[in-house]
Amino acid sequence: MNNCTNSEIQDILPDLEHGKLSLHARQTVEEHLAGCESCREDLRIIRTVKTAAVFAPSIDVDSVVRQIPPYRMPVPAKEAPARGRVAQWLVAATVGVLVIGGGALLKNRQQSESANRFGAVLPDSQTMIAESAPPLPDIRSVLGQPAHTPALSLVADVQELSDGNLQQLMSELENFDALPNSEPEPVFAVDTAEGR
Amino acid sequence: MIPGPEERPEETDVELIERWKRGDSRAATRLVGRHSQALARFAASSGEREGIEELVQDTFVRAFASLDSFRAESTLRTWLFTIERRLMLDRRRAERRSRETVPVEESDYVSEYGALDSLIAEETQERVRRSLASLSPTQREVFTLRVQQGLSYKEIAEVVGSTEGAARVHYHNAIQKVKELLRNE
Repeated sequence: MNNCTNSEIQDILPDLEHGKLSLHARQTVEEHLAGCESCREDLRIIRTVKTAAVFAPSIDVDSVVRQIPPYRMPVPAKEAPARGRVAQWLVAATVGVLVIGGGALLKNRQQSESANRFGAVLPDSQTMIAESAPPLPDIRSVLGQPAHTPALSLVADVQELSDGNLQQLMSELENFDALPNSEPEPVFAVDTAEGR
Repeated sequence: MIPGPEERPEETDVELIERWKRGDSRAATRLVGRHSQALARFAASSGEREGIEELVQDTFVRAFASLDSFRAESTLRTWLFTIERRLMLDRRRAERRSRETVPVEESDYVSEYGALDSLIAEETQERVRRSLASLSPTQREVFTLRVQQGLSYKEIAEVVGSTEGAARVHYHNAIQKVKELLRNE
């Protein structure tokens, strides 16, 4: 048996079996088949394969449809997990600390500038220590010096003090409450020019 | 008089998709009913023996979830075959991995022809089955899609990720091989 060389007809034989050909194309193929044993054999194979009862389970349509989500179903808003809420609180607390701390720093800076306007020469760190410390007693009473002695400020040079005076000063300082009950008044440097 | 939902003439897939997008769940039922058995047959023809219902269900769930990407340049059934074939490949890869064998290759797809195993009664069909079993996986896949499902070469190329010309060549080689084997028996 000779093989057919009309590949165009061979190409569309499955379409004939599936009824997809136009009337004109169908007539053309049928005319060809009448005189071509090779293509008739092809068609027999196609019909056999097509009609072979392939075992496939019957699909439960309703079961499949139930699994299909609605079109563009909005994702339900999920309640934030506990860890998320904690994180939110941490963020809020951090922001609060930054705001309060920033405000305090700003205030300190303003006060430092104010002190500088009065001629103080305190470094910033010393100023901050002085502001956060409780009001100090008069150093003269601690040291037992006469009232007319030029005042010593906290920023006086402690190296000039004797060992005994330093011990006495430290013992007095230990008696102070480290946490003041109210905002301490700013401590300004005392002009010690008179004592020099 | 406008026909009611049950009296409507045969709607196209695209029309049913639009109805489903507007919230008509009956359109989904029509679409699934129209294509589910073809998907099951394709899976069986491709050698799937178990979990065909689950496979068909997964195919529809994925398809409906991404219907916006379906631009109707091909038929819905072709698109569904494409999705189902990818799922079958994934399934086979997973099975291969679980068995710790060599990685699956694209050409390994449809390594067994189980479509006609349990159904051959007549001698002619038995001979056809043996002939089909002798085809390469790609030839068998193309031949099945062309003959059993009636897909065009262009649609087959889309499903198997090939070209229309290559699909045509695979089909011709397949039917010639089947003919020769049948003649020699």
